[in-house]
This record gives sequence, C-alpha cells and structure tokens, in this order.
Amino acid sequence: MKKLLILLFTLAMGTATMAQESPKEEDFFKILKVTAPEGTLLEVGGLTVLPNGNLGVATRRGDIWIVENPTSRSPFFRKFASGLHEILGLTYKDGALYCAQRGELTKMIDTNSDGKADVFETVYAWPLSGHYHEYSYGPKIAPDGQFFVTGNVAFGDEEWWRGESRVPWRGWTMKISENGTMQPWATGMRSPCGLGIFDGELFYADNQGEWMGSGGIVHVKKGVFVGHPAGLRWTGLTSSPVKLTAEQFDAKIDERRRRDENGRAIKPENVVNETPTLLYSLKDKFPGVDIQTPAVWLPHGILGISNSELVEIPQGAFGPFAGQLLIGDQGMSKISRVFMEKINGEYQGGAIEFRNGFKSGVLRLAFAQDGSLFVGETNRGWGSAGDANEGLQRLAWNGATPFEMRAVKAMPDGFEVEFTKPVDRKSAEDLASYRVESFLYKYHAVYGSPPVNKEALPIKGVKVSADGLKARLIVGDLRKYYIHQLTLEGVRGVEGSYSLVHPIAYYTLNNIPEGEKLTMTDVSTRNSDTAPTAATPVVASKKETGKTGGKPKLVEGQAVTMAKAPTYDEVKGLLTRHTCSACHQANKRQVGPAFSDVAKRKYTNEQIVKLIYNPQPHNWPDYATEMPPMPQVPKPDALKIAAWINSLAPTAGSSSAGVPKP
Amino acid sequence: MANPPFSALFCGLLSVGWVAGIGLVLAQPAPTPGTSIPLNDLSSFAAATPNWRIVGAVRADLNKANTFVTDKGTGILANLPADASFGQKYNLLTNLKHGDIDLELDYMMATKSNSGVYLQGRYELQLFDSWDVRRPTTVDNGSIYERWDEKRPDGQKGYEGHPARQNASRAPGLWQHLKISFQAPRFSANGTQKTENARIIRVELNGVLVQDDVELTGPTRSAAFEDEKPVGPVMFQGDHGAVAFRNIHYIAYDKPRPELVNLTYAVYKGKYEKESDYSFGGKAPEAEGATKVLTASMSRIPNEFLIRYTGTLRVAEPGEYLFNLGVPGGGGLLKINNQNVITPGGWNGRSKVTLPKGDLPFELFYSKFVDWAQPALGLTIAGPGVREFAISEGVGGTGEEVAPIMVDALTNTLLRSFMDLPGVTMPGTPADQQRRSLRVTHAISVGSPEQVHYTYDLDKGALVQVWRGSFLDATPMWHERGDGSSRPRGMVQRMGLPVLFLTKLTSPQANWLIDTTGSGYRPKGYVLDESDRPTFRYQSYGASVDDKIRVLDQGKGVQREITITNSANDLYARLISGSNITPLENGMYLVDERAYVRLDDVAGAKPTIRESNGQQELIVPVKGKLVYSILF
Repeated sequence: MKKLLILLFTLAMGTATMAQESPKEEDFFKILKVTAPEGTLLEVGGLTVLPNGNLGVATRRGDIWIVENPTSRSPFFRKFASGLHEILGLTYKDGALYCAQRGELTKMIDTNSDGKADVFETVYAWPLSGHYHEYSYGPKIAPDGQFFVTGNVAFGDEEWWRGESRVPWRGWTMKISENGTMQPWATGMRSPCGLGIFDGELFYADNQGEWMGSGGIVHVKKGVFVGHPAGLRWTGLTSSPVKLTAEQFDAKIDERRRRDENGRAIKPENVVNETPTLLYSLKDKFPGVDIQTPAVWLPHGILGISNSELVEIPQGAFGPFAGQLLIGDQGMSKISRVFMEKINGEYQGGAIEFRNGFKSGVLRLAFAQDGSLFVGETNRGWGSAGDANEGLQRLAWNGATPFEMRAVKAMPDGFEVEFTKPVDRKSAEDLASYRVESFLYKYHAVYGSPPVNKEALPIKGVKVSADGLKARLIVGDLRKYYIHQLTLEGVRGVEGSYSLVHPIAYYTLNNIPEGEKLTMTDVSTRNSDTAPTAATPVVASKKETGKTGGKPKLVEGQAVTMAKAPTYDEVKGLLTRHTCSACHQANKRQVGPAFSDVAKRKYTNEQIVKLIYNPQPHNWPDYATEMPPMPQVPKPDALKIAAWINSLAPTAGSSSAGVPKP
Repeated sequence: MANPPFSALFCGLLSVGWVAGIGLVLAQPAPTPGTSIPLNDLSSFAAATPNWRIVGAVRADLNKANTFVTDKGTGILANLPADASFGQKYNLLTNLKHGDIDLELDYMMATKSNSGVYLQGRYELQLFDSWDVRRPTTVDNGSIYERWDEKRPDGQKGYEGHPARQNASRAPGLWQHLKISFQAPRFSANGTQKTENARIIRVELNGVLVQDDVELTGPTRSAAFEDEKPVGPVMFQGDHGAVAFRNIHYIAYDKPRPELVNLTYAVYKGKYEKESDYSFGGKAPEAEGATKVLTASMSRIPNEFLIRYTGTLRVAEPGEYLFNLGVPGGGGLLKINNQNVITPGGWNGRSKVTLPKGDLPFELFYSKFVDWAQPALGLTIAGPGVREFAISEGVGGTGEEVAPIMVDALTNTLLRSFMDLPGVTMPGTPADQQRRSLRVTHAISVGSPEQVHYTYDLDKGALVQVWRGSFLDATPMWHERGDGSSRPRGMVQRMGLPVLFLTKLTSPQANWLIDTTGSGYRPKGYVLDESDRPTFRYQSYGASVDDKIRVLDQGKGVQREITITNSANDLYARLISGSNITPLENGMYLVDERAYVRLDDVAGAKPTIRESNGQQELIVPVKGKLVYSILF
C-alpha cells in the first residue's frame, strides 16, 4: 500500500514538473490582429503613429492608409494617398506625411481636410538608373528636423552578384532639409532597410550580402564609411564628406574581380583556408578615414537574415525593456531586442531574441499610444518564416515580467549581466551555468560569411549582486570588435526555478572599458562541471541545448554508411544550431527551398555537404535570396543533416524519418 | 479539334519568363513578309462601283462626317460613297480567294464612318470611327460584327457578335493598323458537311490584341454570301461610309500540314549532355512503345532521362520548313530525312530546312539533365503555305505561369513606376547597350475613366506617351520583387525621347537641351484637383511652372495648359516631335499620320517646325501661358 502511494505521489510530481516548464516569449508578448477591410493589400513599407494616435500605413504597392482607432476591435481604414512608387518609409511632421519613394522624398498634405492628400510635394528627387534593387528608405527625422533617407545599391548586369552604385548617392545615406537641399551624409550601405533614431543619433541596419558578413546595427555619423565599396564611386564629388576614394580602396582591398579564359566574370566564392580580412582592420588600412563598424552585430540566421526597422521602446511600454531598441527581421519573421551603451565615445551593445512567429516578413515597427507595437509585414519577392505575403499585426505585453537578461554591459575584465528578476544564487554562482564564446564575420566580396575565428573563452569567476539582479563575470581572452556570445543555459530564476526565456546574448565588444576589476576573492569560482560526478540538472530545461552531451560523436563519413537515416528529432537541434532553420523548412518553401525539394534533386549526402559549404544559388533560380557559404558546420553534422534531407525524398517511401506535419 | 495559335501554346514553354525575376517575356510573333495586293489600279479586285478609287493621299475633316479630301496618285484604295448608296454592289471583293490567311493592312476612317473587312466575304471584322467610345460593343472598331437572323424576335435578331477587348482606335483621318489571323471552316471530304467552324485566331488593332481565338458559327450580318465555303474573297465594305486602305499584305495558308505517323518512343535513364552520348550501347530503355503525341510526360523520371522518338514525317508540300524546338533543362536533337535539323545547344532551337515531298524518317531526342528545370517538350512547324503549328502536345504550360496584375482606371488613377520606351535609346548610348530601351525612372502614369491615359516624366516636365484603351499592366512591378516598371495596355502614341519641355534658346535654331543641366530644373510634385487629376509643378530657369494636363471631352485626346510665373526670356516650348509634322488647313498639325496637335492658346506667338537630328519638332516661344491639345 505504501509503495502504491509513493508511486502515485511520484506520478503527481512528474505532472507538476511538466506544468512548471519555463515560460516562453508568447506567454508575455501576444501577437494580435489589426483587422482591415477584405481585399486591402497591406504589403507594409512604412508605418508611423500620428499625434492623435492614428496609424499611417504605407505599402509597397504605393498606397497610404490612415487607420483610425487602430488598437480597437474595429479599426477604420481611410485611403490617404495612392499611386506612389514602392514606398519604404513613412513619417509624420508638422501636419504632413513624408515618405521615401524610389526616386524622391515626398511631402503629402491634406489641405482641404477631406482625409485625402491633395498636395504631393517633391522635397528632393535623386537620380536612379532604373534597376529593380534601387529601393530607397526613410525618412527618419533628425533632432534638427531634417530628414535622413538611404538608398540601396543596384547589381551588375554580368556580375549580378556585385552591388553597384550606378548613379550618385546609391549606397549612401542622404540628409535632406525641408527646403530641398541635400547633404550626402555617409556611404558603405548595401541594403539599408532599417533606420532608427536613438539618443538623437542615426542608426541603421544592413542586410547580409557581399561585403556584409552578417546584419548589424551601425551608428551613422557624418562622413563615415560602413563597408560596402559601391558608393565610394561618388566620394570625389565636392559635397561628399567621406574621404576614402574608390581607387584608394581598390589599392588595398581585393574586390575579387576575376575573369575566366573566355573573358566571363567569375563569381567570388568563399575561400575556406585563408586568413580572413575583418571589417575593423580597415581602420588600420585607411588611417584618417572614419570606418564605422557595427555597434551591435546581429548574427546571421540567429537574430535575422534581413534586418529591418529599428525602434526605441518608449517609456511605459514593454515593462523592463523601456528605453531599449527593437529590430525586426523580414526573412525570419521575428523581432530582436537590442541594448547599447557608450564606451570610449562609441556605441556598442548586445542583442537577444525577443519574439518570433509573425505571419509574414517583419519590415516596419511603430509603437501605438497604448504601448503596444504595430508590426508591418511583407515577404513578396523574398519569402519569410511566416508564410503570409503581407500583414499588419500588433504585439501587446500582458504586464507579466519575463525572466530575461535585461542587458549586458562590458566590464574591464568581462561582462555584467542584468536580469529582470532575481536569479537563484546556487545556479548563478556556478560557472558551469555560463558559456562565453567569441567570433566574427569575414569582410569580402563573397555573399555572406561563415562565422570565423571562433573561440571558447575561459570564465574565471562570477559575482552575483545581493539583490540577485546582476551577475558580473570575469572572462579571459576578450577580443576587441568581436561578437561575444554569452550563453546562460544553467542560470535559473528564484521564481519557479525557471530558465531564461532567451538564454543567449550576443554582445559586440568594440571597446573594453577602463575601470575597476573584480578581485578573485570577491567572486565565486565554483564550477559544478569540474565536480567528480556531474549531476543531472534538477529542473528540465525546455530548450534543446543541442550541445553534444552524452551521445557519442559521429565520425567523419559515418553518416553515409548509416543503415537508417536520422529522424527529425535527431537533427532538429543541428538545424537550429547551424541556422539552417532560419531559411528552410521540411516541407514548405520559406526563404530557401523546402528540404523535401532539395531531396528531390537526388544529390548524394556528400554532394549536399559540398553544397552546404559552397552553395550554388543559380541552381535555384526561383529563389531570390542567396545562401551564404556555411563551412563552419562540422562535417559529421553536415552529413547527418544531409542523410535526413535525403530521407525526405518521395521515393524513400514509408521509411521516411518522420517530419512534423504542418 | 481547333488548334490555338502558336503564341498561346508556347508562352509558357518556350520562354522561361520569370527566371531572373525581372522581365516578363511576351511571345510576340515576328512580322512576316507576305504577298502585297498592288494598289496602282483596281485590277486586283472584282468589278468595282465608282465609289472605289485609287488615290495618292487622303485626309479627313474632323468636323464633317464621312468626308475625305483626296489627292491624285496611287497606293491608296479609297471608298468615297455617294449619299444613300447602300447595297452589296458597293462593296469591293478581291480577286484573291483565301482559306486560312494572315491579313495585314493600314486603314483610315472618315469622321463618323463605318466599314468592315469581311474574311471570305462572310465574317466581318468591323471598322468604325470609335474615337469617342469608352467600352466597345459589337458595332465598334476591331469588333467581330453580329450575325443576323430575321426569324428571331425583334431585339434578338442580332446575335453572337464579339466586341473588341478594349477601344484601341485612333481618331478619324489618322492611319490605323490591323492584323488578322483567320482560320477557314473545315469540311468533310465530299464538301457537304462542315466539320469545324471558322475562327478568328487573333486580331491586333494598332498593336493591341483585341480578339483572341474566337469561333465563328457562320457568316455575320450583311455578308456577301450566306453559305460557308473553304475559300472566298476578302470583301471591303463600301456602302456605309468613307474609308481608305493601303499596304495590304497577306500570307495564305493553303497547304496541308506535315503529319507524324508511325511514332514510337523510348525513354532512357541517365545524363546525356552531348550529342555523342545519344547512343545507348545496347542499354535497355526504361519504357518504350507506340504513341500519337510528342510529349515530355512520356518520362516518369523527373530528371536525367532521354526520350527518343522515331517515326515518319509525311510531307505533302515540298519546300522550306521552319522548326522550332523547346527542350527546357537539357538539349534536343531533331533529325529529318536522316539529316540533323536542330542540334543540341540551348533550350530552344530554331532552324530552317528544305524538305522534299514524301514520307521522311523522323527522329527526335530530348535529353533532360538540369535538375531545377521542369521537363517539357515543344515542337512547332511552319512551312510553305503552312501556318506555324504545334506538332507536339505543348498545351498546359509549366504550371508556373504568373497571374497578371492589372490596374484599371475606373476613376482618375495615378501610378508611379519605371516606364520603358521601346525603340527609344538615350543619345550617345554605346552600340552594345542599345538593345536596352530607355527607362524613364521618375515616371507617373495618369489614367482616366474616359479611357485616355498618359505618362509624364517628372524629371523633365515631359509628356512621355498618351494612350487609349485599358490603363496599366503592373505585373512587371508587383509580381515577386518585380523590376519597378509597368506597361500601358492600350493603343500607345509615344512622344520619343523625353526632353525638357521648356528650354531657353538663344536663337530659334539653337539645339534643344537633352538633359536638365543648366536649366536649374527642379521637380516640385503635383497637386490634385477635386477629381484627383494632377497638375504638375516644377521650377526651371528661375520660373515656376504649372503643367495641367486634362483629358479632352469624349476622350478625344489630352489638353495641356502651361502656366509660367517669373518667366525667363527666350523660353521656348517643344510641343511635339516626329519624323514628319505637317500643318493642316484648319491650323492643326498632323504628326506622323498618327496624331494631331491643336494650338488652343499660344498668346499670339508664332510656332515653328524645325529640323533636329533628322527629326522634326514643333516649337513655340512662350511667356506666361500656353494651351495646346494632342488629338489621337
């Protein structure tokens, strides 16, 4: 009888443990609908909230809507303007709306108060060559009331992979005054889709591509060069504040313009065994030139693949995160959170996942007056994790504080992590709860970059503050300009022994601050991993750690001879860790083809591994976004993924390794 | 079974369309030379009544119905009917008797006039002064006229007409262009039984598709004959109104098509990239057998396969044949009479070969090895007296066709986009880049419910083009990433290279400026009126300019009113350019026989026609105000 009771009790405990699974992002931030009249196509290119709380929505099809009562159950849509050219930004100022069209900054006024614009004034028009990729973004309003606008590069005819600035100010940021004077402001932009004002300064986010190893947020000071060389073509013009010329650049950086024996241009491919050039090294190569590296890198495939709008969280909104930034991502249909600090006069900071699961590509963000966030979406031409083609949604906080890293700050000897809620001391004072690695991306003419120079850093001690809201880490081998990945899988909250909602932060360490270092006597150096018997974690984390734990490692070549393909559950962690899932799904086209479509090509496992390391985008002409080379995926992992992909082929029959049904 | 025309079949198969996500490729059959009907005299026609004349020039009077002024000469066939001369005898029949035919001609309508082209004297393609029409009915220009049955009740006697898809007409007195592809009815061997109805395969009016594969169950109203026959004359209607024709060409398709008989197929698995691989060294096919159709779906393997067809091509008419082979994702080899006609290389092959009459050995290989391409196989044949037709299955496309995105102007509608100007290149463009036509980057198109629209270049203050009919096709801009451009769907009158509308000239002979350098040109946008019609604004030479363009009453064209404040001296406006600008008696100007320019208010200034780079341009000095119209 007693035995039976114990058994029952144990079962009940088990259930209780299940119920105590750590909360997830959707438990705090809800995605809500903004209903629109049927047939309203909201391929959102611009969002702005007017002083009266109405929402302005601009679309890629050239319409502008004013939405009244936008946070109510029945928003009212009024068409304010139409017929504009691929609007990719919308702002309100002094009774007028302003938008960037492909070829100009336009001011729109409703002079007769009938709800429709009747004056469309060209504030400033810039030249275009007529290439499809010459999109223009903005405006954002500077503290002095002037307008910032950015412009994409075009691509070559023969060198279709190479960004070109065919006419002045493509690949540039422009600053435009109300009366139509234009100051070229900075260059080096490739696809500067995300603009934002923070701290009175202009920041912008670019997209991965040639010369852009990964997305990132860059402080755009006057006269800076941020990396893409196309715009340097115009630095000789008298109005240019950028000092670097295209010739000077060419003399020191290999642009990989090569031709084969038939005179055809060769597309640059990733060189695996090389000492890569890194963006920050341009500071030494071009002394006297203002080279601006990202304040915050947004690792590709993790915090996005095509970063979009940058907004500051207003006071009173989103609880502990007010004053920080949010950045959207089109391809991954997600939003990440960014915090910055100023060290040695330069901005730097970190980024953490925030909310996934939007229905289309997240392009534009704007805070409503009630503190919720409007999310304007489109994926036409690019694809996204959310498979709707367009959308307008709203993200609302339910008032409960999630257990998160609120911010990470650089310290002279490591980092200080600030939490939103007190941590459980036992876990937080255990060095095994933390992992710190650093890496960076290449600066080269190739599309994208694998993460390079990756190192695991020693954690020497941790000091948890008395209130349990801060943990200061002593970390060795810090590298300036590198991305420092802080993984806090083991840290638990006091409440519920929960794991962090998002346990990984990516901090860009452009400068290491001066100041007081911790003494070893002040810190905990306990490391449960070095204890003779490693105890299994008390509370099961919901997250797949994906780390090689007790399972034996696959050796090279083993996968090809495997009798049975791995199951989805066996590769799921790998697909996430190596960022495959950022662009591919099992059975559905996303940014890239479905894995099952890859399987139909009947590549051998070895061929798939080769394609992971050196993708051939021309084999997939229906897909707009190139896949970057991913030589960082270890071969055993790649082979395992390949074997799983091939198990999805229709001819593989019923032995298919199990794919989650949509 | 009816055979839809080549272009419809192969739109999907022979063009890969959106592969680059940029260009929408429309299959446009190239103009083909044909036989012309000489118009030196009336000897090509059956006995004609005196209303039919051969003349050298013809002009219409816009204010007088049914009236032409003609000059002596040859080359133009004019119908100048006397009042109330109704009746079959006033119609004109060609000596030519035709079955299947492509017919192409220019014609001009007098004001309020009515005529028609009857294929085989029986099936009427209506010609009409539809200048002021918005939505064509069966009586309008480019429509297939109704059939008529007296036995039916009143109001239902007319039936089965087929209106033009849109009004692609020009004004009376302007030359219009008509292209008709017609397929005659088919009859049983003894000729007693009709086995297949006649069809209008395609009609292009002024370059716009207005009829596409329309079946004709019998002769239309006022046909010359009530029966149906394999052949008949072309009839030009002469009893309804003044009309003129010139440049009449035709291609008759009166010979039997080659046929494929004794066809067998074999499918081989594997990757055969070169012609030399096409021997299988005893390798057994995956599948083989007899078949009646050429199709890629014989292979159930999606990639890396080869289909080999063998059979006999039965050629009834000797002569030169054109073969067009589509083999996406691989290569194809076509052998006829044991000689190579098309050899592997590229996904499309086109070749001409002279074939004798008789049963000729036929062999076709389709090797598919590019993994991302959809397998498909298309083969068309054209020959002496044989209209290009698909001998392969070919229908159905690839399943990747794009749903078009059309923009209509039900109210006044604006749309900014890039606008390509076919045939126009920027002066000084290197020869190797001239295939790319000029792209207007700051264009705005303005559509009206009157169905008259225009495109304006905001970068130059220039009117780029005007058109009548449907508004815009935005598929190139809004499908996937798009290329940022849209296209007019109607009958377009282009204004050539866009240049600054206003320029300071030191003398009336000085060259016109191509770009805005030196003018201080600055666009200032536009203001909408209560009906959403824009007035464009810009600054140039220190002056502020308002450029107001409005559609004329009844959609007869556009009127442009320029208002200049703080006007500089020596400012000229270039109203229009063309190969030939002719002043008319009524103070208007005729531009290339395709449009009229009317000066409504030039404040007493004297307009000049001058030569410039082999073109003519109409310029006028301008101070404060200028109003003129373009009628088309």
